[in-house]
Amino acid sequence: MISIENLSVNYKSDSDVYTAISGINLTIPEGGTLAVIGPSGCGKSTLLKAIAGLIPEYEGTIKINGDEVNPKKQTIGFMPQNYGLLPWRTVIDNIRLGMKIKRAPELLDRKVLKKLMRQLGIEGLGHRYPTELSGGQQQRVALARVFALQPDVLLMDEPFSALDAITREEMQDIFLKLWQKNNVSTIFVTHYVEEALYLGQRIAILSASSGNINRIVDNPLFGGKDIRQNPEFFEMSLKLKNSIKKDWNQAWEN
Amino acid sequence: MGKLVSLWYLLAAVVLTIIWFIVSQLVDLPIIPSPVLVVENLADIFMKYIAIHSLYSLWRIGAGLLLAVAVGLPLGVIMGYFPQTDRFLAPVVYLTYPIPKIALLPILMLLFGVGELSKVFMIFLIIVFQVVVAVRDGIRAIPNETYYPLYSLGASFKDIFFEVLWPASLPKFITAIRVALATAISVLFFTETFGTQYGMGYFIMDAWLRVNYLEMYSGIVVLSLLGLILFTTIDLIERNACHWQYK
Repeated sequence: MISIENLSVNYKSDSDVYTAISGINLTIPEGGTLAVIGPSGCGKSTLLKAIAGLIPEYEGTIKINGDEVNPKKQTIGFMPQNYGLLPWRTVIDNIRLGMKIKRAPELLDRKVLKKLMRQLGIEGLGHRYPTELSGGQQQRVALARVFALQPDVLLMDEPFSALDAITREEMQDIFLKLWQKNNVSTIFVTHYVEEALYLGQRIAILSASSGNINRIVDNPLFGGKDIRQNPEFFEMSLKLKNSIKKDWNQAWEN
Repeated sequence: MGKLVSLWYLLAAVVLTIIWFIVSQLVDLPIIPSPVLVVENLADIFMKYIAIHSLYSLWRIGAGLLLAVAVGLPLGVIMGYFPQTDRFLAPVVYLTYPIPKIALLPILMLLFGVGELSKVFMIFLIIVFQVVVAVRDGIRAIPNETYYPLYSLGASFKDIFFEVLWPASLPKFITAIRVALATAISVLFFTETFGTQYGMGYFIMDAWLRVNYLEMYSGIVVLSLLGLILFTTIDLIERNACHWQYK
Protein backbone atom coordinates (compact mmCIF):
# COMPACT_ATOMS: atom_id res chain seq x y z
CA MET A 1 0.00 0.00 0.00
CA ILE A 2 1.25 3.43 -0.92
CA SER A 3 -0.14 6.52 0.75
CA ILE A 4 0.79 10.05 -0.21
CA GLU A 5 -0.33 12.97 1.90
CA ASN A 6 -0.04 16.61 1.05
CA LEU A 7 3.02 16.08 -1.13
CA SER A 8 4.73 19.18 -2.54
CA VAL A 9 8.01 19.44 -4.38
CA ASN A 10 9.81 22.70 -5.08
CA TYR A 11 12.83 23.01 -7.31
CA LYS A 12 15.26 25.69 -6.26
CA SER A 13 17.63 27.30 -8.70
CA ASP A 14 20.06 30.06 -7.72
CA SER A 15 17.47 32.81 -7.84
CA ASP A 16 14.12 31.12 -8.22
CA VAL A 17 11.82 28.65 -6.54
CA TYR A 18 9.61 26.65 -8.84
CA THR A 19 6.73 24.52 -7.61
CA ALA A 20 6.54 21.28 -9.57
CA ILE A 21 3.75 19.62 -7.60
CA SER A 22 1.76 20.74 -4.60
CA GLY A 23 -0.80 19.29 -2.23
CA ILE A 24 -1.00 15.81 -3.74
CA ASN A 25 -3.03 13.18 -1.88
CA LEU A 26 -3.14 9.62 -3.19
CA THR A 27 -3.54 6.09 -1.92
CA ILE A 28 -2.89 2.94 -3.86
CA PRO A 29 -4.05 -0.26 -2.17
CA GLU A 30 -1.73 -3.26 -1.96
CA GLY A 31 -1.49 -4.79 -5.41
CA GLY A 32 -3.44 -2.02 -7.11
CA THR A 33 -2.59 0.05 -10.15
CA LEU A 34 -2.88 3.78 -10.62
CA ALA A 35 -2.51 5.69 -13.87
CA VAL A 36 -1.35 9.29 -13.66
CA ILE A 37 -2.28 11.33 -16.67
CA GLY A 38 -1.49 14.94 -17.40
CA PRO A 39 -0.04 17.37 -19.95
CA SER A 40 3.72 17.71 -20.32
CA GLY A 41 5.29 19.87 -17.65
CA CYS A 42 2.53 19.23 -15.11
CA GLY A 43 4.82 17.41 -12.69
CA LYS A 44 3.98 13.80 -13.58
CA SER A 45 7.60 12.74 -13.63
CA THR A 46 8.34 14.72 -10.47
CA LEU A 47 5.58 12.86 -8.66
CA LEU A 48 6.99 9.53 -9.80
CA LYS A 49 10.55 10.49 -8.87
CA ALA A 50 9.45 11.60 -5.41
CA ILE A 51 7.79 8.22 -4.80
CA ALA A 52 10.91 6.50 -6.10
CA GLY A 53 12.95 8.27 -3.45
CA LEU A 54 14.93 10.20 -6.04
CA ILE A 55 14.01 13.61 -4.66
CA PRO A 56 15.48 14.11 -1.20
CA GLU A 57 13.62 17.33 -0.38
CA TYR A 58 9.86 17.28 -0.40
CA GLU A 59 7.05 18.37 1.87
CA GLY A 60 4.33 16.03 3.07
CA THR A 61 4.59 12.28 3.49
CA ILE A 62 5.07 9.36 1.15
CA LYS A 63 4.58 6.01 2.83
CA ILE A 64 5.14 2.60 1.33
CA ASN A 65 3.63 -0.18 3.43
CA GLY A 66 3.47 2.20 6.39
CA ASP A 67 7.10 3.39 6.29
CA GLU A 68 8.42 6.62 4.90
CA VAL A 69 9.90 6.02 1.46
CA ASN A 70 13.55 4.97 1.60
CA PRO A 71 15.34 3.34 -1.33
CA LYS A 72 17.67 1.53 1.03
CA LYS A 73 14.86 -0.13 3.00
CA GLN A 74 12.13 -0.75 0.47
CA THR A 75 12.46 -2.36 -2.92
CA ILE A 76 11.36 0.20 -5.45
CA GLY A 77 11.27 -0.84 -9.08
CA PHE A 78 11.65 2.23 -11.27
CA MET A 79 11.35 1.99 -15.04
CA PRO A 80 12.33 5.25 -16.73
CA GLN A 81 11.10 6.42 -20.09
CA ASN A 82 14.02 5.10 -22.13
CA TYR A 83 14.11 1.87 -20.05
CA GLY A 84 17.40 2.78 -18.30
CA LEU A 85 19.20 -0.36 -19.43
CA LEU A 86 22.97 -0.26 -19.14
CA PRO A 87 24.46 -0.51 -22.66
CA TRP A 88 27.62 -2.15 -21.32
CA ARG A 89 25.84 -5.04 -19.64
CA THR A 90 24.28 -8.01 -21.35
CA VAL A 91 20.55 -8.60 -21.09
CA ILE A 92 20.94 -11.16 -18.32
CA ASP A 93 23.32 -8.90 -16.36
CA ASN A 94 20.91 -6.00 -16.76
CA ILE A 95 18.13 -8.15 -15.32
CA ARG A 96 20.34 -9.31 -12.45
CA LEU A 97 21.55 -5.77 -11.72
CA GLY A 98 18.75 -4.94 -9.31
CA MET A 99 19.42 -8.00 -7.19
CA LYS A 100 23.10 -7.23 -7.19
CA ILE A 101 22.45 -3.74 -5.86
CA LYS A 102 19.86 -4.97 -3.37
CA ARG A 103 22.35 -7.65 -2.33
CA ALA A 104 19.53 -10.17 -2.63
CA PRO A 105 21.14 -13.35 -3.93
CA GLU A 106 18.09 -15.33 -2.84
CA LEU A 107 16.25 -13.77 -5.78
CA LEU A 108 18.90 -14.98 -8.20
CA ASP A 109 17.12 -18.25 -8.79
CA ARG A 110 18.02 -19.32 -12.32
CA LYS A 111 14.74 -21.16 -12.82
CA VAL A 112 12.65 -18.18 -11.78
CA LEU A 113 14.62 -15.83 -14.02
CA LYS A 114 14.37 -18.25 -16.91
CA LYS A 115 10.63 -18.54 -16.44
CA LEU A 116 10.26 -14.77 -16.31
CA MET A 117 12.32 -14.37 -19.47
CA ARG A 118 10.25 -17.04 -21.19
CA GLN A 119 7.02 -15.28 -20.20
CA LEU A 120 8.43 -12.11 -21.70
CA GLY A 121 9.65 -13.85 -24.84
CA ILE A 122 13.31 -12.93 -24.33
CA GLU A 123 14.76 -16.27 -23.23
CA GLY A 124 17.16 -16.44 -26.18
CA LEU A 125 18.52 -12.93 -25.74
CA GLY A 126 20.38 -13.29 -22.44
CA HIS A 127 23.84 -12.72 -23.86
CA ARG A 128 22.98 -9.89 -26.23
CA TYR A 129 23.60 -6.24 -25.48
CA PRO A 130 20.68 -3.76 -25.28
CA THR A 131 21.82 -1.91 -28.42
CA GLU A 132 21.34 -5.12 -30.39
CA LEU A 133 17.65 -5.29 -29.41
CA SER A 134 14.56 -3.61 -30.83
CA GLY A 135 12.65 -1.09 -28.72
CA GLY A 136 10.02 -3.69 -27.85
CA GLN A 137 12.67 -6.18 -26.76
CA GLN A 138 14.41 -3.57 -24.61
CA GLN A 139 11.06 -2.84 -22.99
CA ARG A 140 10.66 -6.53 -22.19
CA VAL A 141 14.11 -6.63 -20.61
CA ALA A 142 13.24 -3.58 -18.51
CA LEU A 143 10.03 -5.32 -17.35
CA ALA A 144 11.99 -8.47 -16.51
CA ARG A 145 14.41 -6.35 -14.50
CA VAL A 146 11.73 -4.78 -12.31
CA PHE A 147 9.56 -7.86 -11.90
CA ALA A 148 12.53 -10.09 -11.05
CA LEU A 149 13.05 -7.93 -7.97
CA GLN A 150 9.55 -8.58 -6.64
CA PRO A 151 9.38 -4.91 -5.67
CA ASP A 152 7.18 -3.33 -2.98
CA VAL A 153 6.15 -0.79 -5.56
CA LEU A 154 6.58 -0.54 -9.31
CA LEU A 155 6.89 2.88 -10.90
CA MET A 156 6.83 3.38 -14.66
CA ASP A 157 7.43 6.66 -16.47
CA GLU A 158 5.66 6.73 -19.85
CA PRO A 159 6.35 3.01 -20.08
CA PHE A 160 5.19 2.14 -23.58
CA SER A 161 5.16 5.50 -25.29
CA ALA A 162 8.22 4.93 -27.48
CA LEU A 163 6.72 1.84 -29.11
CA ASP A 164 4.60 1.62 -32.25
CA ALA A 165 0.86 1.21 -31.69
CA ILE A 166 0.72 -2.57 -32.23
CA THR A 167 3.78 -3.36 -30.13
CA ARG A 168 2.45 -1.05 -27.45
CA GLU A 169 -0.82 -2.99 -27.12
CA GLU A 170 1.13 -6.24 -27.04
CA MET A 171 3.36 -4.90 -24.26
CA GLN A 172 0.34 -3.68 -22.32
CA ASP A 173 -1.07 -7.20 -22.42
CA ILE A 174 2.23 -8.67 -21.32
CA PHE A 175 2.44 -6.18 -18.48
CA LEU A 176 -1.09 -6.99 -17.31
CA LYS A 177 -0.35 -10.72 -17.28
CA LEU A 178 2.82 -10.23 -15.26
CA TRP A 179 1.10 -7.84 -12.90
CA GLN A 180 -1.75 -10.29 -12.28
CA LYS A 181 0.75 -13.03 -11.44
CA ASN A 182 2.94 -10.88 -9.19
CA ASN A 183 0.43 -8.50 -7.68
CA VAL A 184 2.75 -5.54 -7.42
CA SER A 185 1.38 -2.11 -6.44
CA THR A 186 2.00 -0.04 -9.54
CA ILE A 187 1.94 3.64 -10.40
CA PHE A 188 2.55 4.67 -13.97
CA VAL A 189 2.58 7.95 -15.81
CA THR A 190 1.14 8.19 -19.30
CA HIS A 191 -0.25 10.65 -21.78
CA TYR A 192 -2.41 8.07 -23.55
CA VAL A 193 -5.95 7.97 -22.22
CA GLU A 194 -6.41 4.47 -23.68
CA GLU A 195 -3.36 3.23 -21.82
CA ALA A 196 -4.62 4.73 -18.57
CA LEU A 197 -8.00 3.04 -19.10
CA TYR A 198 -6.49 -0.31 -20.01
CA LEU A 199 -3.91 -0.58 -17.24
CA GLY A 200 -5.17 1.66 -14.45
CA GLN A 201 -7.63 0.56 -11.76
CA ARG A 202 -7.82 4.22 -10.92
CA ILE A 203 -6.82 7.20 -12.98
CA ALA A 204 -5.48 10.40 -11.45
CA ILE A 205 -5.75 13.43 -13.69
CA LEU A 206 -3.21 16.13 -12.92
CA SER A 207 -4.14 19.71 -13.55
CA ALA A 208 -2.29 21.61 -16.21
CA SER A 209 -0.95 24.47 -14.16
CA SER A 210 -1.24 24.18 -10.39
CA GLY A 211 0.70 20.95 -9.94
CA ASN A 212 -2.03 19.15 -8.03
CA ILE A 213 -4.57 16.47 -8.79
CA ASN A 214 -7.64 17.59 -10.65
CA ARG A 215 -9.58 14.46 -9.87
CA ILE A 216 -9.33 10.72 -9.48
CA VAL A 217 -11.52 8.47 -11.58
CA ASP A 218 -12.34 4.86 -10.70
CA ASN A 219 -12.07 2.69 -13.76
CA PRO A 220 -14.94 0.20 -13.89
CA LEU A 221 -13.59 -1.37 -17.09
CA PHE A 222 -10.26 -2.46 -15.60
CA GLY A 223 -9.52 -6.16 -15.75
CA GLY A 224 -12.39 -7.01 -18.09
CA LYS A 225 -11.80 -9.34 -21.01
CA ASP A 226 -10.84 -7.71 -24.32
CA ILE A 227 -12.06 -4.37 -23.11
CA ARG A 228 -10.30 -2.61 -25.96
CA GLN A 229 -12.95 -4.03 -28.32
CA ASN A 230 -15.72 -2.95 -25.98
CA PRO A 231 -17.86 0.03 -27.06
CA GLU A 232 -17.85 1.23 -23.45
CA PHE A 233 -14.06 1.50 -23.67
CA PHE A 234 -14.37 3.91 -26.61
CA GLU A 235 -17.09 5.83 -24.92
CA MET A 236 -15.22 6.18 -21.68
CA SER A 237 -11.95 7.18 -23.33
CA LEU A 238 -13.77 9.80 -25.38
CA LYS A 239 -15.49 11.15 -22.29
CA LEU A 240 -12.24 11.22 -20.38
CA LYS A 241 -10.42 12.93 -23.23
CA ASN A 242 -13.07 15.61 -23.56
CA SER A 243 -13.16 16.36 -19.86
CA ILE A 244 -9.36 16.51 -19.71
CA LYS A 245 -9.30 18.84 -22.69
CA LYS A 246 -11.82 21.08 -20.97
CA ASP A 247 -9.78 21.17 -17.75
CA TRP A 248 -6.58 21.94 -19.52
CA ASN A 249 -8.03 24.56 -21.84
CA GLN A 250 -9.48 26.31 -18.82
CA ALA A 251 -6.14 26.23 -17.09
CA TRP A 252 -4.38 27.71 -20.06
CA GLU A 253 -6.96 30.45 -20.47
CA ASN A 254 -6.51 31.53 -16.86
CA MET B 1 39.65 -11.33 -37.73
CA GLY B 2 42.89 -11.05 -35.72
CA LYS B 3 44.83 -12.55 -38.61
CA LEU B 4 43.30 -10.11 -41.08
CA VAL B 5 44.24 -7.14 -38.91
CA SER B 6 47.86 -8.30 -38.58
CA LEU B 7 47.93 -8.73 -42.36
CA TRP B 8 46.98 -5.06 -42.81
CA TYR B 9 49.73 -3.99 -40.41
CA LEU B 10 52.21 -6.09 -42.39
CA LEU B 11 51.00 -4.53 -45.64
CA ALA B 12 51.42 -1.00 -44.22
CA ALA B 13 54.96 -1.85 -43.08
CA VAL B 14 55.82 -3.28 -46.52
CA VAL B 15 54.42 -0.25 -48.39
CA LEU B 16 56.27 2.22 -46.13
CA THR B 17 59.51 0.26 -46.54
CA ILE B 18 59.12 0.22 -50.34
CA ILE B 19 58.60 4.01 -50.41
CA TRP B 20 61.63 4.41 -48.14
CA PHE B 21 63.66 2.13 -50.43
CA ILE B 22 62.68 4.10 -53.58
CA VAL B 23 63.50 7.45 -51.94
CA SER B 24 66.87 6.13 -50.72
CA GLN B 25 67.74 4.98 -54.25
CA LEU B 26 66.64 8.30 -55.78
CA VAL B 27 68.45 10.55 -53.29
CA ASP B 28 71.49 8.28 -53.03
CA LEU B 29 73.04 10.08 -50.04
CA PRO B 30 74.21 8.63 -46.68
CA ILE B 31 71.53 10.71 -44.89
CA ILE B 32 68.87 8.36 -46.33
CA PRO B 33 70.30 4.83 -46.20
CA SER B 34 68.54 1.89 -47.80
CA PRO B 35 66.13 0.07 -45.45
CA VAL B 36 67.95 -3.18 -46.23
CA LEU B 37 71.14 -1.85 -44.66
CA VAL B 38 69.23 -0.42 -41.69
CA VAL B 39 67.51 -3.73 -40.98
CA GLU B 40 70.82 -5.57 -41.22
CA ASN B 41 72.38 -3.09 -38.82
CA LEU B 42 69.37 -3.30 -36.50
CA ALA B 43 69.65 -7.07 -36.32
CA ASP B 44 73.31 -6.67 -35.44
CA ILE B 45 73.03 -4.06 -32.70
CA PHE B 46 69.52 -4.41 -31.25
CA MET B 47 70.34 -6.76 -28.40
CA LYS B 48 73.79 -5.28 -27.91
CA TYR B 49 72.91 -1.56 -27.75
CA ILE B 50 69.32 -0.61 -28.44
CA ALA B 51 67.29 -2.96 -26.21
CA ILE B 52 68.32 -1.22 -22.98
CA HIS B 53 67.44 2.19 -24.43
CA SER B 54 64.00 1.05 -25.55
CA LEU B 55 63.34 -0.44 -22.11
CA TYR B 56 64.22 2.88 -20.47
CA SER B 57 61.85 4.75 -22.79
CA LEU B 58 59.13 2.18 -22.20
CA TRP B 59 59.47 2.47 -18.43
CA ARG B 60 59.22 6.27 -18.54
CA ILE B 61 56.10 6.15 -20.69
CA GLY B 62 54.60 3.39 -18.53
CA ALA B 63 55.27 5.21 -15.27
CA GLY B 64 53.99 8.55 -16.62
CA LEU B 65 50.88 6.87 -17.99
CA LEU B 66 50.15 5.05 -14.76
CA LEU B 67 50.55 8.23 -12.75
CA ALA B 68 48.28 10.13 -15.16
CA VAL B 69 45.59 7.47 -14.84
CA ALA B 70 45.92 7.34 -11.06
CA VAL B 71 45.37 11.10 -10.80
CA GLY B 72 43.27 11.85 -13.89
CA LEU B 73 40.65 9.14 -13.53
CA PRO B 74 39.45 10.02 -10.01
CA LEU B 75 39.61 13.73 -10.81
CA GLY B 76 37.57 13.25 -14.00
CA VAL B 77 35.02 11.10 -12.16
CA ILE B 78 34.63 13.69 -9.41
CA MET B 79 34.31 16.57 -11.87
CA GLY B 80 31.84 14.69 -14.05
CA TYR B 81 29.66 13.30 -11.29
CA PHE B 82 29.57 16.27 -8.91
CA PRO B 83 28.78 19.44 -10.91
CA GLN B 84 29.70 21.67 -7.95
CA THR B 85 33.30 20.47 -8.01
CA ASP B 86 33.41 20.98 -11.76
CA ARG B 87 32.37 24.59 -11.35
CA PHE B 88 35.36 25.04 -9.11
CA LEU B 89 37.90 22.80 -10.86
CA ALA B 90 37.09 23.43 -14.53
CA PRO B 91 38.67 26.92 -14.55
CA VAL B 92 41.82 25.47 -12.99
CA VAL B 93 41.98 22.74 -15.63
CA TYR B 94 41.17 25.08 -18.52
CA LEU B 95 43.80 27.59 -17.45
CA THR B 96 46.56 25.02 -17.16
CA TYR B 97 45.57 22.66 -19.99
CA PRO B 98 46.62 24.93 -22.92
CA ILE B 99 50.10 25.60 -21.52
CA PRO B 100 52.54 23.75 -23.77
CA LYS B 101 53.93 21.25 -21.29
CA ILE B 102 57.33 21.33 -22.93
CA ALA B 103 57.60 24.94 -21.79
CA LEU B 104 57.54 23.63 -18.23
CA LEU B 105 60.54 21.38 -18.80
CA PRO B 106 63.10 23.82 -17.34
CA ILE B 107 60.96 24.19 -14.21
CA LEU B 108 60.50 20.44 -13.89
CA MET B 109 64.22 19.90 -14.29
CA LEU B 110 64.93 22.43 -11.56
CA LEU B 111 62.34 20.93 -9.23
CA PHE B 112 62.84 17.23 -9.90
CA GLY B 113 66.38 17.15 -11.27
CA VAL B 114 67.44 16.20 -14.76
CA GLY B 115 67.00 12.47 -14.10
CA GLU B 116 64.07 10.08 -14.29
CA LEU B 117 61.55 11.98 -12.22
CA SER B 118 61.29 15.06 -14.45
CA LYS B 119 60.91 12.88 -17.57
CA VAL B 120 58.17 10.75 -16.04
CA PHE B 121 56.43 13.85 -14.71
CA MET B 122 56.52 15.44 -18.15
CA ILE B 123 54.66 12.49 -19.66
CA PHE B 124 52.26 12.57 -16.76
CA LEU B 125 51.50 16.25 -17.44
CA ILE B 126 50.82 15.62 -21.11
CA ILE B 127 48.45 12.69 -20.57
CA VAL B 128 46.66 13.71 -17.39
CA PHE B 129 44.68 16.66 -18.82
CA GLN B 130 43.33 14.64 -21.69
CA VAL B 131 42.28 11.91 -19.27
CA VAL B 132 40.55 14.35 -16.90
CA VAL B 133 38.57 16.09 -19.63
CA ALA B 134 37.63 12.89 -21.46
CA VAL B 135 36.47 11.06 -18.32
CA ARG B 136 34.52 14.09 -17.13
CA ASP B 137 32.75 14.54 -20.48
CA GLY B 138 32.08 10.82 -20.71
CA ILE B 139 30.36 10.89 -17.34
CA ARG B 140 28.46 14.07 -18.11
CA ALA B 141 27.00 12.47 -21.23
CA ILE B 142 25.29 9.73 -19.19
CA PRO B 143 21.53 10.41 -19.25
CA ASN B 144 19.87 10.74 -15.84
CA GLU B 145 17.53 7.86 -16.68
CA THR B 146 20.51 5.55 -16.43
CA TYR B 147 20.91 6.40 -12.74
CA TYR B 148 17.26 6.44 -11.67
CA PRO B 149 16.59 2.71 -11.47
CA LEU B 150 19.81 2.30 -9.48
CA TYR B 151 19.15 5.19 -7.10
CA SER B 152 15.63 3.97 -6.47
CA LEU B 153 17.14 0.66 -5.35
CA GLY B 154 19.37 2.46 -2.88
CA ALA B 155 22.61 2.04 -4.83
CA SER B 156 25.76 3.19 -3.04
CA PHE B 157 28.41 5.34 -4.71
CA LYS B 158 30.48 2.19 -5.13
CA ASP B 159 27.63 0.55 -7.07
CA ILE B 160 27.20 3.66 -9.21
CA PHE B 161 30.92 3.81 -9.90
CA PHE B 162 31.33 0.19 -10.97
CA GLU B 163 28.00 -0.21 -12.75
CA VAL B 164 27.81 3.17 -14.50
CA LEU B 165 30.67 5.65 -14.17
CA TRP B 166 33.55 3.29 -14.88
CA PRO B 167 32.09 1.50 -17.92
CA ALA B 168 30.63 4.74 -19.32
CA SER B 169 33.92 6.60 -19.17
CA LEU B 170 36.21 3.72 -20.13
CA PRO B 171 36.01 4.10 -23.95
CA LYS B 172 36.56 7.89 -23.75
CA PHE B 173 39.36 7.34 -21.33
CA ILE B 174 41.11 4.87 -23.64
CA THR B 175 40.69 7.21 -26.62
CA ALA B 176 42.21 10.04 -24.58
CA ILE B 177 45.23 7.91 -23.78
CA ARG B 178 45.59 6.94 -27.42
CA VAL B 179 45.57 10.59 -28.51
CA ALA B 180 47.88 11.77 -25.74
CA LEU B 181 50.36 8.93 -26.22
CA ALA B 182 51.59 10.17 -29.61
CA THR B 183 52.41 13.58 -28.10
CA ALA B 184 53.91 11.89 -25.07
CA ILE B 185 56.31 9.85 -27.23
CA SER B 186 57.53 12.88 -29.15
CA VAL B 187 58.05 14.89 -25.98
CA LEU B 188 59.78 11.95 -24.35
CA PHE B 189 62.18 11.94 -27.29
CA PHE B 190 62.98 15.56 -26.58
CA THR B 191 63.43 15.15 -22.81
CA GLU B 192 65.71 12.18 -23.37
CA THR B 193 68.21 14.40 -25.08
CA PHE B 194 68.97 15.95 -21.67
CA GLY B 195 70.54 14.55 -18.55
CA THR B 196 70.49 10.87 -19.41
CA GLN B 197 72.60 8.23 -21.09
CA TYR B 198 69.62 6.00 -21.74
CA GLY B 199 66.42 6.11 -23.77
CA MET B 200 65.60 6.08 -27.47
CA GLY B 201 65.87 9.88 -27.63
CA TYR B 202 69.40 9.74 -26.33
CA PHE B 203 70.33 6.87 -28.65
CA ILE B 204 69.03 8.56 -31.81
CA MET B 205 70.54 11.97 -31.05
CA ASP B 206 73.83 10.35 -30.06
CA ALA B 207 73.95 8.41 -33.33
CA TRP B 208 73.17 11.58 -35.21
CA LEU B 209 75.99 13.52 -33.51
CA ARG B 210 78.37 10.68 -34.33
CA VAL B 211 77.10 10.91 -37.95
CA ASN B 212 76.23 7.23 -37.77
CA TYR B 213 73.11 7.33 -39.94
CA LEU B 214 72.59 3.58 -39.93
CA GLU B 215 72.34 3.55 -36.14
CA MET B 216 70.19 6.66 -36.15
CA TYR B 217 67.72 5.02 -38.53
CA SER B 218 67.80 1.80 -36.53
CA GLY B 219 66.79 3.88 -33.51
CA ILE B 220 63.98 5.55 -35.44
CA VAL B 221 62.67 2.16 -36.56
CA VAL B 222 62.73 0.89 -32.98
CA LEU B 223 60.91 4.02 -31.76
CA SER B 224 58.24 3.49 -34.38
CA LEU B 225 57.87 -0.17 -33.39
CA LEU B 226 57.65 0.90 -29.75
CA GLY B 227 54.74 3.15 -30.68
CA LEU B 228 53.13 0.31 -32.62
CA ILE B 229 53.41 -2.01 -29.62
CA LEU B 230 51.87 0.60 -27.31
CA PHE B 231 48.99 1.39 -29.66
CA THR B 232 48.14 -2.25 -30.37
CA THR B 233 48.25 -2.98 -26.64
CA ILE B 234 45.74 -0.19 -26.07
CA ASP B 235 43.56 -1.53 -28.89
CA LEU B 236 43.66 -5.00 -27.35
CA ILE B 237 42.75 -3.66 -23.92
CA GLU B 238 39.86 -1.73 -25.43
CA ARG B 239 38.56 -4.79 -27.29
CA ASN B 240 38.55 -6.78 -24.09
CA ALA B 241 37.34 -4.12 -21.70
CA CYS B 242 34.74 -2.44 -23.93
CA HIS B 243 33.35 -5.51 -25.68
CA TRP B 244 29.86 -4.00 -25.89
CA GLN B 245 31.17 -1.47 -28.38
CA TYR B 246 32.10 -4.18 -30.85
CA LYS B 247 28.66 -5.68 -31.20
